[in-house]
Amino acid sequence: MKLREHLTGETLALAGLVLVLALLPSLATAFFVNFVMTQTLILGLAAATIVFLAKYGGMTSLAQLLMFGIAGFMFGNAALDGGARGLNLGWHPWAAVGFAILVTTLVAFVLGAVASRTTGIYFLMLTLVYGVVGYFVFAQIVEISGPGGITSIQRPELLGPPVRLYYAGLLLSVLAYAGFRMLGRTAFGLALQGVRDDPVRMASLGFNVPLHRALAFTLAGFVAGLAGLLNVWWNGQIDPASISIGPTLILLIIAVIGGMSSLAGAWLGAFVYVLVLTYLRDLPLVDRIGITEARFNTVIGVIVLVIMVLSPEGLTGIVQRLRGTTRKELGGIRP
Amino acid sequence: MSGPKLRKALVLLVSAGLALVTGCAGDGDDSAGLPADQQNSVAGGSGSGDGIRLGILGQCEGPFGGFHEDVVAGTTLALARFAGATPESSTSALEGFSGAEVAGTPIELVGIGCGDDTADRVVQEVRRLVEQLGANVIIGPLSGDEGIAIAEYAKSNPELTVLAGISGSQEQTLQVQAPNYFRFYGDGAIWNAGLGDLLHNEEGWDTVAVIADDYSFGHTSAAGFIADFCGVGGKVTHRVFPPLGTTDYSSYIAALPGPDEVDGYFWAVGGTGTQAALEAFVNGQGDLSGDQHAGNLFFNPDLAQALGTDIAGAYVGGFATLPADVRTPEIEEYLAAADETWESIPGSLSGNEPAPPSVAAAFGFFYGYYTAGVALVEGLEAVGGDVSDLDAFHEAIAGLTLDLPYGEISLDENRSGIVDVGLSRLALDDSGNVVQETVAIVPGVDQTFGGTFSPDTPSPGRDFPACEERELPWEGNAIPVVDGVPQS
Repeated sequence: MKLREHLTGETLALAGLVLVLALLPSLATAFFVNFVMTQTLILGLAAATIVFLAKYGGMTSLAQLLMFGIAGFMFGNAALDGGARGLNLGWHPWAAVGFAILVTTLVAFVLGAVASRTTGIYFLMLTLVYGVVGYFVFAQIVEISGPGGITSIQRPELLGPPVRLYYAGLLLSVLAYAGFRMLGRTAFGLALQGVRDDPVRMASLGFNVPLHRALAFTLAGFVAGLAGLLNVWWNGQIDPASISIGPTLILLIIAVIGGMSSLAGAWLGAFVYVLVLTYLRDLPLVDRIGITEARFNTVIGVIVLVIMVLSPEGLTGIVQRLRGTTRKELGGIRP
Repeated sequence: MSGPKLRKALVLLVSAGLALVTGCAGDGDDSAGLPADQQNSVAGGSGSGDGIRLGILGQCEGPFGGFHEDVVAGTTLALARFAGATPESSTSALEGFSGAEVAGTPIELVGIGCGDDTADRVVQEVRRLVEQLGANVIIGPLSGDEGIAIAEYAKSNPELTVLAGISGSQEQTLQVQAPNYFRFYGDGAIWNAGLGDLLHNEEGWDTVAVIADDYSFGHTSAAGFIADFCGVGGKVTHRVFPPLGTTDYSSYIAALPGPDEVDGYFWAVGGTGTQAALEAFVNGQGDLSGDQHAGNLFFNPDLAQALGTDIAGAYVGGFATLPADVRTPEIEEYLAAADETWESIPGSLSGNEPAPPSVAAAFGFFYGYYTAGVALVEGLEAVGGDVSDLDAFHEAIAGLTLDLPYGEISLDENRSGIVDVGLSRLALDDSGNVVQETVAIVPGVDQTFGGTFSPDTPSPGRDFPACEERELPWEGNAIPVVDGVPQS
């Protein structure tokens, strides 16, 4: 392929978007950057792991928020020193980061290996079980979760000012997006897609199907763990309720809003979710028609329903269809 | 350049650029000079002298979602009585208020936060109130874990002033100790102070089995009872902790000793669990005798609907307000003021249907937010409405002694309330109905329980506190209440 082909279209648009996001702290208010956009990037990064597993591996996982939570809890236990909550290991923050990521990745590998022989609805159910069991593990074993959550979690000094957390989220998001896209073109990625399409044929060709699935799950767990670290730095605390069934489903909903077949959709879905959560109630007269903040979940539910009806491919599906229509009208269909 | 290579190059370029930006921001001072690069800025800041920008943190979802009207109305009533506020609606507090002013300083309601009983959500709500809407004073939050998270938030945002709503966890003041976080009410443990003294010394209980919800409020509530009962010389023989939201309590009841093995049972099981657990007790351990049971604030006369009048005789721990049989002129005046402020309020006690505001006002959720509102007004009066010197403002609030309808409240060195606790008993009235009668008021209860709890002790949990005898400042000081009249 030629350079020119790449510099047109999607790649260029995404590069432009990243540039805008990089310049955003100079353009937007502190609240928009540090709250809305930072949360968008964190949730988007976590939701992207669901999309990655679904898009390349054909696995819809409900365990990604658990990985997100494990990383947060492990960081809290390792980094805090002398509080009333958690293990209080008092390690150096970066050692705690390494520990958190290591534990998360190992757990992801083990859980992925166990789940690797299931597909479809069984995989979904099994990962749901992971999520629920994980929640109860943290809710019941209070030595590692508080009791009542781990609070006062500080960011490493390097990420002190909130805007740096935003940039860290942006950097990791860009790396994850590009990394997942590139992985899809590697031998492993191609084999994974083969496993998604026809596991029996791939097995008969000599590919180790469960191993491919387990490794993909491990990678997704690793990335979800990174998002989990950003989340505890951003939020300052984590408790078992943070990884209960409600938030677990929210993460899947974010991926569905964006579109399960598009990696970029994960961030788009997160953006829509955070926007609705933050700004819906500020719209003039919206409370007059009964949409108060207490109805937030209903609104999100309606949005999901509408998207599912209009475009099963999510918002990115709508965007692509609009682009297709415009191209047809302009007669600009590519050969 | 081939496809993947080009992508790699692009990614590397962008990543390097971003790393550079992050890295540059990492050099030297803590500010890169960007608008977004402010440490959790408090827009406006109470230091800027342009008045109080108030945010109220409630819960519009979750287990306490029904109390959203109650808590906002609580603060509104305080400002209506003492700061000249006028509610925007005569049938709902959520519409806000206008015209509040103390010593020339206007109080503007910038927003009402909507929590769902999780710490994650309440942190996001407070950030919205403070960082987006520019609140410089927060009243709230409502429940235990939220309180700890908001106290931590207050600690890292010293420009903010937080007056806790009715959140009952101990740590938010005892352990977090944020200098700008004030709590003008008790905590879950305080509300059971004196109950053990009464049961051991007057009812002759020597041994007790404790059954409590397995989460922070259940632990804290049980901890207060255990510290008190053991402090005066009683023994806790069993501690059973069913998870919150249990529906079938039979296995937990089986873990309890039989009625002839202990002198009594203490229940700190809340919500829908209270009745379910007691019913399971009847099924598993035989008939209930009220004399052998005591509960925290979740025990109430409605239990008789399912359990029959056998529940009469059970003792009940206190809450922020007193049961309805105590009616001093101050309480009457307070309730009448609530009824004058609105035509009706759809509070939780009336099933969120319109009801006289005094129904909501007589309960602790409304009252906790009311005391916070009064504290704000009196704090402002103490500094002549001048909040440019935040330290002076905070010092003034910390030094307040509020003369409130349900008793005087001052703060300890961790800015947590020293309060009077009203203990009551379920009893049969003349027509044979179960009612709640106040039996004693325990004056001047603080968080420490004579040293059982301190900043260095763990949070109340399944094993903490241990059962130890110790001096309690209020032992034997309880003021008896007869027919709703304190006998002091």
